[in-house]
Amino acid sequence: MPPVNGGYMVAAYVAAAVIYLAYSAWLLWRSRDR
Amino acid sequence: MTAIPAAERSLRRSGAWIAVSLALVAGVYVRALVFTPEEATQGLAQKIFYIHAPSAWVAFLGCGIVGVCSLLYLFLKDPRLDLLAASSAEVGTVFLTTVLVTGPIWGKTIWGAWWTWDARLTLTLFLWFICLGYLVLRTAVDEPGRRARYSAVLGILGALLVPFIHVSVLLFRTLHPKPVVLQTSRPQLPGSMLTTLLVSFAVFTIFFFALLARRYAWARLREARAQGEAEAADASR
Amino acid sequence: MADLLAQAWAIAAKDLLLEFRSRTAFLSALVFTALVLAIFNFARDPTAVATIDLAPSILWITFSFAGVLALNRAFSLEKENRAIDGLLLSPASRTALYLGKTAANLVFVGAVEAIALPLFALFFNVPLLGVLAPLVLVIALATIGFVTVGTLMSSMAVNTRFGEMMLLVLVLPFLVTPVSAAASMSAKIFAGRPFAEWAPWLKLLTAYDITFFVICTLVFEATVEE
Repeated sequence: MPPVNGGYMVAAYVAAAVIYLAYSAWLLWRSRDR
Repeated sequence: MTAIPAAERSLRRSGAWIAVSLALVAGVYVRALVFTPEEATQGLAQKIFYIHAPSAWVAFLGCGIVGVCSLLYLFLKDPRLDLLAASSAEVGTVFLTTVLVTGPIWGKTIWGAWWTWDARLTLTLFLWFICLGYLVLRTAVDEPGRRARYSAVLGILGALLVPFIHVSVLLFRTLHPKPVVLQTSRPQLPGSMLTTLLVSFAVFTIFFFALLARRYAWARLREARAQGEAEAADASR
Repeated sequence: MADLLAQAWAIAAKDLLLEFRSRTAFLSALVFTALVLAIFNFARDPTAVATIDLAPSILWITFSFAGVLALNRAFSLEKENRAIDGLLLSPASRTALYLGKTAANLVFVGAVEAIALPLFALFFNVPLLGVLAPLVLVIALATIGFVTVGTLMSSMAVNTRFGEMMLLVLVLPFLVTPVSAAASMSAKIFAGRPFAEWAPWLKLLTAYDITFFVICTLVFEATVEE
């Protein structure tokens, strides 16, 4: 029976998604072609 | 003058690549969370590896690119090498940040502590410090030539520091054994988990290069435009 | 080669003469170091931890501060007088410039440490006489490692915004190896452990000194090129 630690898994996945989306958006916004 | 349209084209292309790779990352999320079986001893927390390990790989790749470009810059003095190093440092820092955030979350479940001074963890932390120092240094120097030389020097010294920090931490650890169990020799992953991990490595590598290409194309475009303006100012004088 | 060393010596002598005339930086570094040592006495719980267990940490945190202070001195000296411009116009080679600056900084930090060490022994009741030779070796190696990198970084920090802060951000990651090596070795030395137990640290620190001395000498030119 594996330990129940789905909350930690979700936290890690959400944190990574936030960092990557935020950086991608910031980069695309900074470098948008005016 | 031909530099500007070329840089604009690669800027547009890299935007498309970022969109594609974000979709691929979303695919990795779905595959890892829904279609990959749960590991027996670590439970769901083991799935953190599918994003943690590939992020670490591309973060180290990014730092390696900074080191190599810095070294080459001092010999070749090609400003493109400097821009590539700067772009790689920035993107690498983003991935390092993810590694440093997801690592402790996994550590809390398996080691029982958010942070341990484990060799790889410490090394990642100091790489992060060096990368931040590198990025801060770039904002603190205005003149492009000097900024490039200074960054290259720091890039080379930072790359040299990495093995020393690694050995320091290893010596520190063997001399002060920790009560927490640090030996987490990963067991051979069964097939479907291994596939997920390999797919994730590939996707994150694409993602890294898409971000790097965008960041680099933008830096090139800015430089080409600044140069164009300077030339126009010269001509009108 | 002899020429190079003569030039380096001239630069170091100039720096040290300047310091010797005013003594402001040296005295303030000394007072600062003594103050850090004194404050440390109140920042610990004497009933919980034996002083001898804490001694290596106290010693190396104090010396790190003293080292950073010395680099700041070298830094502000250059900043104030734009002395580096004059040196760059002189016939002295860039390598001689780096060697001279490093030597001057080494003497400065060494002098502060030479006075702080007996003070440390006095304040914290650490018996030094029996272990002086290995301890001085460790201090010398760690100081060399710190100063070689620090001198290079301060020559860059002079030309940056918020230079003093930049210097700290640039130099502190490079302290990990010298400080962890020196503190671990000091702990072994104070505890009277055999040489074999701290030999790996000695090797690491020596390798660090050699590597960074060579590389810093080679890349210094890139930081002063105009």
